[in-house]
Amino acid sequence: MALWWSRCCCSRAARLGGPWHGLGARDKHPPAARLAATSAPREAGPGRMEISYFPGESLRLSFPKLNSVFWRIVARFHHTTARTHSCGRMVSDEKYKDPFKLGRKDLKNLYEDMKKELWVSTTELKEMCEYYLDGKGKAFRPVIVVLMARACNFHHNKSEEVKASQRSVAVIAEMIHTATLVHDDVIDDANSRRGKLTVNQVWGERKAVLAGDFILSAASLALARIGNTTIVSVLTQVVEDLVRGEFLQLGSKENETERFAHYLEKTFKKTASLIANSCKAVSILACPDPKVHEIAYQYGKNVGIAFQLIDDVLDFTACSSQLGKPTSADLKLGIATGPVLFACQQFPEINAMIMRRFSLPGDVERAHEFVFQSEGVQQTTYLAQRYCHKAIQEISKLRPSPERDALIQLAEIVLSRDK
Amino acid sequence: MRLLWLSPFARCCSRAFLQFWAGGGKARQQRCLFSGSPTSASHWSKVVSDAEKIVGYPTSFMSLRCLLSDELSNIAMQVRKLVGTKHPLLNTARGFVYDSRNNLQMRGLVVLLVSKAAGPNNKADNSLQKDMISGIYSSQRSLAEVTELIHTAFLVHRGIVNIGELTSLDGPLKDMQFGNKMAVLSGDFLLANACTGLAQLQNTKVVEIMSSAIGELVQGIYYENSNLAKENGLTDDTGISTWEEQIFLSHSALLAKSCQAAMELAKHDAGIQNMAFKYGKHMSMSHKLNVDIQPFVKENCNGTVAFDLNSAPVVLHQEIIGREAWMKQIREAQIKGSLIDYTKLQDAIKAGKGVTSAIDLCRFHGNRALEALECFPPSEARSALENIVYAVTRFS
Repeated sequence: MALWWSRCCCSRAARLGGPWHGLGARDKHPPAARLAATSAPREAGPGRMEISYFPGESLRLSFPKLNSVFWRIVARFHHTTARTHSCGRMVSDEKYKDPFKLGRKDLKNLYEDMKKELWVSTTELKEMCEYYLDGKGKAFRPVIVVLMARACNFHHNKSEEVKASQRSVAVIAEMIHTATLVHDDVIDDANSRRGKLTVNQVWGERKAVLAGDFILSAASLALARIGNTTIVSVLTQVVEDLVRGEFLQLGSKENETERFAHYLEKTFKKTASLIANSCKAVSILACPDPKVHEIAYQYGKNVGIAFQLIDDVLDFTACSSQLGKPTSADLKLGIATGPVLFACQQFPEINAMIMRRFSLPGDVERAHEFVFQSEGVQQTTYLAQRYCHKAIQEISKLRPSPERDALIQLAEIVLSRDK
Repeated sequence: MRLLWLSPFARCCSRAFLQFWAGGGKARQQRCLFSGSPTSASHWSKVVSDAEKIVGYPTSFMSLRCLLSDELSNIAMQVRKLVGTKHPLLNTARGFVYDSRNNLQMRGLVVLLVSKAAGPNNKADNSLQKDMISGIYSSQRSLAEVTELIHTAFLVHRGIVNIGELTSLDGPLKDMQFGNKMAVLSGDFLLANACTGLAQLQNTKVVEIMSSAIGELVQGIYYENSNLAKENGLTDDTGISTWEEQIFLSHSALLAKSCQAAMELAKHDAGIQNMAFKYGKHMSMSHKLNVDIQPFVKENCNGTVAFDLNSAPVVLHQEIIGREAWMKQIREAQIKGSLIDYTKLQDAIKAGKGVTSAIDLCRFHGNRALEALECFPPSEARSALENIVYAVTRFS
């Protein structure tokens, strides 16, 4: 397993190398490792967030092996950012498109099915609810959910089919995600998403909030119709986590270690909980074995956190035409994400800016500069890589199947995505 | 459940907390949802406080767990920053205090009364019965709480402001954006708690009923908004049946479906569920009509009461005299530009048959609500439900 992983990383690193190959950071101890070791509070019971990532694994020991690989991968980010005109450069390796292809087989009418759930009499409300269902989204969540469903079904009794209830979970997951997008854009007063105006920009905030509420109620209705109280509880946990995550984002901690734990908890609640719990839901529908449920949950949680960490990196490194939304968005909202928190360890000056939520003129630009002078981007990427590693470790416990392998590949894509 | 025996203490806590919530502002609520006290205020409070005794404890219980949580105290701290701005969230927050005296928790109370009036299902197994306190299942009490949470969440979400439509009169843009942020978050927080409460009931049928109620409520508020948005407050030529459909969504669906769900929790059959639904529907329709009629029947109201042009008497008045004549009356009441002399318009409406038709309609719904109650055996809970109907259909 470890061998496979490092081989894969090496080959990718070599491909991505570029002029920064062998950055010479080999001997440094990235603070990521220190932080990860210190910011590991107690576990909070089953199904809850545990921030203690990589339990039972000595970071220091496994470090040297990954270290060199990591810094070479990281070089890619330096590479793309050092040359800002290189926007749009992307690794177009056919292999990396496969997992999505495999997953989308079961999702052919995903958006049509979502629209069917969103039945309303007023055309304008319907239009608003369907605004983001234009097929331009990545459908990242539903793809993971159906792949997980097939992988678990195959693990359990070698059955090939996705159950109707499992497919419903995929639809519901995307609906919950869409509802949060609409509300988040109102909360952040955002102007554009996926390359178009946000719902609040087009229809105003009052209606946008109602549209979000409506999508959520439709998701909840679809959830109830699955007719399984356990599934209802598992996915309701997501809604609660999403809101609590949003609250965590309001506050910040003074202590650095606490601040990092706070950041990871927020990341789990705002992004990973949805993926983790929908994976858990389809695994419950697949088989009664709690071990399998835990594998599915852990995979989703780790991939989810990695996904968000890379998202936070891209907010610094990608250009807005690539993302379909403005960059440095988090800083402008006063939110300190991974790259800034890491940079803060090298440049304590950032501390004051974090505490005042980058509110003074010039704060955003200076923080941005500090991030690039530091290793914040690399360290965040490294952390994401660790989460992906853990996800792959978990999912490898399932019986081999094309879908399981696709989930492994998907964990890698999360690291290399550029939008 | 956990709060059951805390009542006096909890009630006192909640007051203190809610006062804190309101940032010490003077309560000047104009919102007329369930809070507006129909008929004589004292009569209404008596009906409600009698009913509260029947269900075992006062109803200002709205999820104290929720109100006392870290998240809401965080919001409460933030909302203080809004004092002095014009964001509606401030008024909604104040309303929490004000309305706790004026029975904001009406919906919860009705759900509990209907639960008690229906009683246990004799065909259901006995293990359920142990879970009853004052003749109400603990699951039904949780449902009552969920109903209030949903209602309050939408009170908050109703108060979102359209940033693009603000003028310099509305104060700094930043304040309004901040207010919106707090309003979305606190509404979402209440909704998430409602979802969790629903999931804990372990009954997917109930989750289904209540989810559809939320969907209908959203659509109702949506209509409410689009009616508000009209220039000069001029309404579409909708007619009373459309009015009833929209008011059902915005004011009745939640209560009707909560009553239905309470029956499902006690495993009552579809017939009983339907009657509970009907009571909730028609009682809240007649309540809404009562509130709408008040500006036209109250004496010595100094003529300053601005009434809603979408209220029942106005819609009926327009239907009776015809669109043309109504437009003429509006033009006559226009002072300059878009300003309307409401006293003049009010006199015109009072002179017509709109008000009496609205009273008739209110009584019609009241009678339908009373009919629905006939499926329950006589009890003090049933009498309390009847008294609520008598209170909202009384005009004197």
